[in-house]
Amino acid sequence: MSANVHPLGRKLETFSYDDKIVRYFVIATVIWGAVAMLLGITIAFQMAEYRLNLGLPWTTFGRLRPLHTNAAIFAFCGNAIFAGIYYSTQRLLKARLYNDFLSKVHFWGWQLIIVLAAITLPLGLTSGKEYAELEWPIDILITVIWVAFAVNFFGTIIKRRERHIYVAIWFYIATIVTVAVLHIVNSLAIPVSITKSYSMYSGVQDALVQWWYGHNAVAFFLTTPFLGLMYYFIPKAANRPVYSYRLSIIHFWSLVFIYIWAGPHHLLYSTLPEWAQTLGMAFSVALWMPSWGGMINGLMTLRGVWHKVRTEPTLRFMATALTFYGMSTFEGPLLSIKSVNAIAHFTDWIPGHVHSGTIGWNYMITAGILYYLVSKLWNAEIYSKKIANIQFWAATIGLVLYIISMWVAGITQSLMWRAIDETGKLVYPNFIETVVRIVPMYWVRAIGGTLVFLSFLLMAYNLYKTAKNGKGVTDETFEAYALDESSVEKDASQHRKLEGMPTLFAVLSLIAILIGSAIEIVPSILSHQYIEKMDEVRPYSSLELIGRDVYVREGCYLCHSQTVRPMAHEVLRYGKASEAAEFVYDHPFQWGSKRTGPDLARVGGKYSNLWHYRHFAKPQEVTAGSIMPRYSWLFENKIDFNSIPKKMSVMKMLGVPYSKEEIDSGIKDAKLQAQEITEDLSKTGSISPEMQNKEVIALIAYIQRIGIDYGSIEEPLEEDE
Amino acid sequence: MKQSALMNFNITWLPLTGLIIFTVCFCAYAFYTYKKSNKDYYNKAALIPLDDSLKNSESSL
Repeated sequence: MSANVHPLGRKLETFSYDDKIVRYFVIATVIWGAVAMLLGITIAFQMAEYRLNLGLPWTTFGRLRPLHTNAAIFAFCGNAIFAGIYYSTQRLLKARLYNDFLSKVHFWGWQLIIVLAAITLPLGLTSGKEYAELEWPIDILITVIWVAFAVNFFGTIIKRRERHIYVAIWFYIATIVTVAVLHIVNSLAIPVSITKSYSMYSGVQDALVQWWYGHNAVAFFLTTPFLGLMYYFIPKAANRPVYSYRLSIIHFWSLVFIYIWAGPHHLLYSTLPEWAQTLGMAFSVALWMPSWGGMINGLMTLRGVWHKVRTEPTLRFMATALTFYGMSTFEGPLLSIKSVNAIAHFTDWIPGHVHSGTIGWNYMITAGILYYLVSKLWNAEIYSKKIANIQFWAATIGLVLYIISMWVAGITQSLMWRAIDETGKLVYPNFIETVVRIVPMYWVRAIGGTLVFLSFLLMAYNLYKTAKNGKGVTDETFEAYALDESSVEKDASQHRKLEGMPTLFAVLSLIAILIGSAIEIVPSILSHQYIEKMDEVRPYSSLELIGRDVYVREGCYLCHSQTVRPMAHEVLRYGKASEAAEFVYDHPFQWGSKRTGPDLARVGGKYSNLWHYRHFAKPQEVTAGSIMPRYSWLFENKIDFNSIPKKMSVMKMLGVPYSKEEIDSGIKDAKLQAQEITEDLSKTGSISPEMQNKEVIALIAYIQRIGIDYGSIEEPLEEDE
Repeated sequence: MKQSALMNFNITWLPLTGLIIFTVCFCAYAFYTYKKSNKDYYNKAALIPLDDSLKNSESSL
């Protein structure tokens, strides 16, 4: 670095940016994006045609779906975020990244996490919590790498040459701080082994923490960092300043403060306290305002350059991304209104909504950013605007097919589930009727997804050719004045001073998200005060515990919920509405978020052991038209009896009241229960006694236990009457 | 019965406190942001992404 003395006494410094790491992240974004989308269309086709599960454990929907979501969120969007943040932060702060080594640790560490996810999730190593499925060693690695990223980022801020911290950086700060809090709190678990752990939380408490995390992962991983990127890349691509910088400040604080409160809208009509549900709904509706404030600010930045939107791929994708952002942030609050949520929740409308955000907003804006970055970083013109144009239309048409098919499927499902005739009976009592009706929509969704995937491949080719035809990687140097006391405004207002104090700014951002978090989490901490424990609800037997682990491993919760909402049609279809006390021993909770198959909260004792045995072997022979995969490996895998004492001991640490005697006799008890189930199966079918050692028996034991304890309690007469 | 017990779970002071904090903060930063005297400053801040401070360029390949 060379330094000259400026006439005013400030040093003029020459420096360069670390664009090599940005190029790495760009390449990783393209590779993992293709993988995530390929996985997406694979599971989309599996839902339309169950045979595509291939009868193998590691290619089955329940294991591939977490891999798809993790790949899309953390691999594709994660690498895109890091590429954009590292590129823009250096330029906005006029400083090279704090430490090149940390940048490399960040990049390779993140890729290692993705590879570990790609290995462990298909193997069924999962914590069973949506969007946070990775097991504890990988969670620790994520924390370490995130800290490396944070140190590198804040270190860059400290050595900056621009006094004012531009609004995009604020969004990055909020992302880094909040994701750290979310990840650590939600991942707290007690390990059983290197590949297995149980969540620290149970039942309602776990549900609250999980959806506080799940909702805010969307907020602070898929929204705030991309909004920050939007505030940098749209002005750059349009070559004009953001429409209203002041609106961006209002946008930032309102969004950060409000977003964190909205998590309970994922748990409406559940056993969560009523006031918490209403609060979540109210803040979700309020969230519409800052969301649209940001969208309007972005779109208005393009005023005067709309003609470029027609010709420049970067601007075209960004403008479309903002439009879809506006649509999905309108739909989100709409879905949070309790009466709308009663219709939409557990249906395919929700994946439709999610993908209007992830494809419409995240993919589209990433495409715009990638076109910008590749042409800058490889010093090249975009190879083919025609290919970019085809990509745009393929992605847009594919997404529209996806969204519309899921709207139709979701509303159809919901109306069929709710239909009650004049005699008070369900019009469609067999759940399978509602599944068969929407399978054609699954085909439309898969075709739409394929178009999106093909559009991504076109972009990958276009970017590759662009980079290849580039004039060479350039090592640019820049110059800017070093910061010193003369750059501090003496009479600045409080907020203006704050804008130059990154540490205090980060602390205030943290406080903003902690206020909402506390309000969401407090009911969870105090849950023992409002959950009346019932003597009838007992811990799982040792075999049921093993069976529950199989249930979690196979991702059953991705298609089956375990909570009956207090609605007439649900009580008619499934049985008594769920109560908080039922789930006190559920580490983790398994309420699910989607009903591709029926709810299982009251399934215990509903069917015979043989029915379940045959159902796991060939679901279609028991339920004609079923799209459930076959679980043939459960008939071959042996029960890991030896893991029982350790698992029960960990559960005891978590508050499950197992006695020492129960733990000591856990293996013996499990074998005895397995023998009883197998004998029952032998009476009604030609089942070999050797089957008592197989995982399917443990799973049947668990399934037959679900909802039994509370379900057996007679409904008391209403005391008020 | 249990549902109604949940409905009456009495810590409503908590969201109310949060709402008050939010309202106060919102008014404070809206006031500072939209103060007339800050207009030029924010207009300048909006130009930060457009200032690359490029000195020279050397091809390394």
